[in-house]
Order: sequence, then structure tokens, then C-alpha cells
Amino acid sequence: MAETIAADMGANVWKILVAPGDHVEEDDVFMILEAMKMEIPVTAEEAGTVLSVDVAEGDVVASGQALIQFESE
Amino acid sequence: MTTEAVKKDVAGLAEATCTREQEHEKKRAAALAMGGVRKLEARRAKGELNARERIALLLDPGTFRESGLFVTSAVPADRDKTPADGKITGTGEVDGRRASVVAYDFTVKGSSSSPISNKKMSHFKELVVKTGQPLVYLCESTGVRMPDAMGGTGMGSANGKTRFLRQRESPWVSAAFGYCFGSAAWHTMASDFAVFRKGAVLAVSSPNLVSRATGQQVDAQELGGWKMHSEVTGFADAVADSDEEAIELIRRFLSYLPSHNGQTPPLAPVPSGSGDRAEEIKNIVPAERTKTYDVRKVIDIVVDTGSVFPIKARYGKSLVTSLARIGGQSVGIVANNPMFKGGALDGAACDKATSFLVLCDSYNIPVVMLVDQPGFLIGLEAERSKVAGKIINWMNALSLVTVPKIAVTMRKNYGQALINMGGGGTADATAGWWSSEVSFMDPTSAVSVVHGIDKETDPEMYELRLAEMNKGTTAYDVAQVFGFEQVIDPAETREFILGALKDHYRARTNGVGEHLLRTWPTSF
Repeated sequence: MAETIAADMGANVWKILVAPGDHVEEDDVFMILEAMKMEIPVTAEEAGTVLSVDVAEGDVVASGQALIQFESE
Repeated sequence: MTTEAVKKDVAGLAEATCTREQEHEKKRAAALAMGGVRKLEARRAKGELNARERIALLLDPGTFRESGLFVTSAVPADRDKTPADGKITGTGEVDGRRASVVAYDFTVKGSSSSPISNKKMSHFKELVVKTGQPLVYLCESTGVRMPDAMGGTGMGSANGKTRFLRQRESPWVSAAFGYCFGSAAWHTMASDFAVFRKGAVLAVSSPNLVSRATGQQVDAQELGGWKMHSEVTGFADAVADSDEEAIELIRRFLSYLPSHNGQTPPLAPVPSGSGDRAEEIKNIVPAERTKTYDVRKVIDIVVDTGSVFPIKARYGKSLVTSLARIGGQSVGIVANNPMFKGGALDGAACDKATSFLVLCDSYNIPVVMLVDQPGFLIGLEAERSKVAGKIINWMNALSLVTVPKIAVTMRKNYGQALINMGGGGTADATAGWWSSEVSFMDPTSAVSVVHGIDKETDPEMYELRLAEMNKGTTAYDVAQVFGFEQVIDPAETREFILGALKDHYRARTNGVGEHLLRTWPTSF
């Protein structure tokens, strides 16, 4: 099922660890956001494939903003 | 009455008088048949239990004592169609302790509420206050019965003075199984614990009525589905996959609570192996304060093995609230979870904390806070969600709590949130891990605020000022002014809490608190 992974808080995009087409397992980290002086990982809740990455490192994202389009298995 | 009707009545009497036993059995069988074979089978086919099956699972075998079996609707035309008037009520035992139950029978007029069925429910609301036992609602209802409640006489006859009066003398718990409108929704909202079975819908009005009234098509799940209530409103304290699991969760919840607020929760045996994995905590919590981890793994190790019972796990996830046991004693765990939002406390987390403090204080459950937080979530969204007010509601609740409060700072602990999490003298017993860091704000932020410089523009001065800001933020600095009673090895966390529970047991009142929060709202 295709789904959008969104930011759950306003943050800076610090490191992106996946690219479109990558396969990820449950708990794998898509990217790390930075907010409140914390490195906050965005992780896969289930295994699947990254369809697209909608942000770039250094971007400021708002709560609810799309980060990744994802196809779960 | 027409002549025909009189003849029919007399014929009925003659038939009924064959023997008392036969007549009684016939009436009993009719009441126990609920809404009839067809409706009951349709439920079974969907994998749903009926109201009597739910009661049988909730109560210890053979303990159900029914009250009001022969009740029917007051409307003459409905008398034969309303066994128990759609609400099956009575008393029994849960794990050997008395409890009252109201089970909505959806097969009888959608378990809609009528004056008579309301009378049954009121009976148990009064009974549990007088006798001090939990009241369990097994909810599923279309709401108020129509057309019975229509008009001035319908509404004018309502007896609502104490219908939703909660002073938490004893726990109310609810399971929302299917459609919950009307009193099924209200009783769930008024309860101390609400479990939603997947598929359940709870709303002020049915999707059908909403669509008619507003001209907008609404989806039932979107309007008031279990997922919405577990993730958006936080009204769902727990979610169950099946009827059976929902009832098991109610039984488990009650095992952590006293029967009433005049006693302490029952003690449980301490499972072997509890506390044995204490050293593993050091591998779970990273030393670097910017790194995240799942605090639930720490809680599992600190409390009695297998005793964690999460409350609102899908809501306000940067704060974990869980019932658990330590040394066999019920405790309420409040812990920051850096895994979500870095542990920053948002409006949802504040409401969750306040609601949990109300529960613990009302039922004599000591509160244990495990602290590692970067502060309250700041920003536009947070302010618009009324976070300032929520922070102070939480503070006021914490100040009113009279059960023992134990706070352990695990890692970083900053700002006003430090006080909300049991710092600043708000807890009875305090400790800090030897690695903890405490200040008004993260030292890197403080450098920018105080000196107006950042790492990029003036790296050399930034490092100097940062070293300065990092001074005096250790556990020993806090302990020096008695802000921590003890500085501990992380592996000693459980031992510290066990000792504090002994130290702060309210022996003069046999562990019973003052319940100053007992009239606080039943939802936030």
C-alpha cells in the first residue's frame, strides 16, 4: 500500500539515509530530523520500498509535511 | 379495551396459570432470548460476542447475579420486544472482588436508552458509590430510543441530576465495542479507563444524522472511529483486536486498582527475574543527550517482569504513561520518550500527564517519573494548541497529588518541564543518574541566547562559552543543593524506587491519599 511518511513536528532535515528505490526493513531509519536539540529518527513502521524522497538535507519542514512516499509490503 | 382484547387477555391468563413454575420459566426464557436467534446468529457470524457472552467473560464463572431480568419497555406495544429493555445489569466478581456491570444488548432495539433502562443503570451507579466497587460498562448503543424520548414529556421526564456525576469513589471502566452513541458514548467518556475494540465508533451523533443535518457525507470511522480516538483525541486508553481482548484488558486494568478509593490496590506476587536485567539499562540509554532511544525498554527492566499496562499508548507519544508494579505494588509510570518528538512535551503529552495523575491520585497509586526531556515543545503549533494552559493544569494537578511521587532523572532535564516532571521540590523522593545533566535550557541554546553567537560565525568563542555553560549542570551540582536526595548508578533505579515506596508509604492513612483531583474532568 502506498503511503506518505510525514513529519510529526516542525524540524530541520539533518541527514537523509535512503534514496528512491531503496528497500527498507521495519525500524530502518529513513532520515534524521533535528529539533529541540535532538536527533529524531524517522523510521519505517513496516518493510517496503521508498518511492520518493520529498525533502532535501537542510530543509525546514512543518508538522504534517510529507517527507517520503513509501510502498509497504 | 375491546371485547376481543379482553377475551385474548383472559385466554392468556388461563394458559399462563398452568403452573407457576412453567409460567416463570417461560418468562425467563423469553427474557434470556434477547433480541432473538436471527440477530444473535448474525453477530456470531461477524465474530462479535453478545451482551450475555461478554458478561460471562468479564465475571468469574458462576458469580453473575442479575438484576432486572424481567424489565421491559414501558411502551405497551414494545413489551414483548424488549427483553431486559436492552440493558443487562447485575453484580458479580472479577478476580474474586465484587463488581457491577451494565451490558448494552444491541439486539434489543439497538440497546437504545429508555426511562426504564436508565432506571436500571442509575441503580448501579448508586450501588457502587455506597458499596465501593467498580462499575463496568460494556458499551454498544444507537443512543436514545425514538420516538419514546420525543416531545416535552419525553425530555421533561429525564432524571439527569446525578447521571454523570463522577467523584471517583470507585472506578468506572468502559469497553466501546461497536456503535457507541447516546449513553454508551457518555458512559465511556465518564469512565476512568476506556478500551476501544477495533471497528468501534463513538460520537455525539451518528454519521447518518450528521449527514442529514449538515448535508455533508461523513464516514463513521473518520467521525469517531477507534483509530481517531486512540491517535487524535486520546479518549481511547487502550485498543483491542477483539471483544475477548477488550474484556481481558478491563480485567487486567482492574487488577491494578483498588475496588474503591478508601483502600490501596491489591498486591501481586513479584515474578522471578524482576530487576535482574538492571545493568542492561546502560546499553539502552545513549550517553550523548542528542541521541534517541525507546524509554519503554527501560521501564520493562525497572518494573516487575511483564507488569507494564500502557495507558493511551497511541496518543501524545513523547510521554509514556503506564500502570505497572514494582515489588508487587501498583505504580503509575510517567516517562519521557525521546523516540517521539525527541521527548519534547506537547499539548497532547500535557493532557495525557494530567489525566494520568488524576487516575493515580484518585485510586491511591504512587507515581513514578522517569525523566529525560529537552523541554516543552515550542513554536506556533504548540502555542495555538493552548500548551501554556495545559502546562499549568499539569502543574496544578501535580501539586494536588497526595500519593507518593518519586522522580528519577535519567539523562537531560531542562526548563519548566523539569518541574512538571517532579523536579523543583514537587516530588517526595528524588534521584539523578550520575550521568544526568540539568539546567534551565540546553547549553547550546543558552550560548546563543546569552551571548548571541553561534557555532558557524564564531567557532572559537562559541566553544569557550559552551564549556562555561556546561559547567555546573551535573547530578552532583543538583545534589549539592538537595535537588536530588541521591545520585545513583542507572542500574540502581529499581532499588531506589523500592526504597522510596517504603519511605513514603502513607502509614497514618493505610496508604490512602486525599484524592484532591477526584472531581477533575474525566477527559482532557
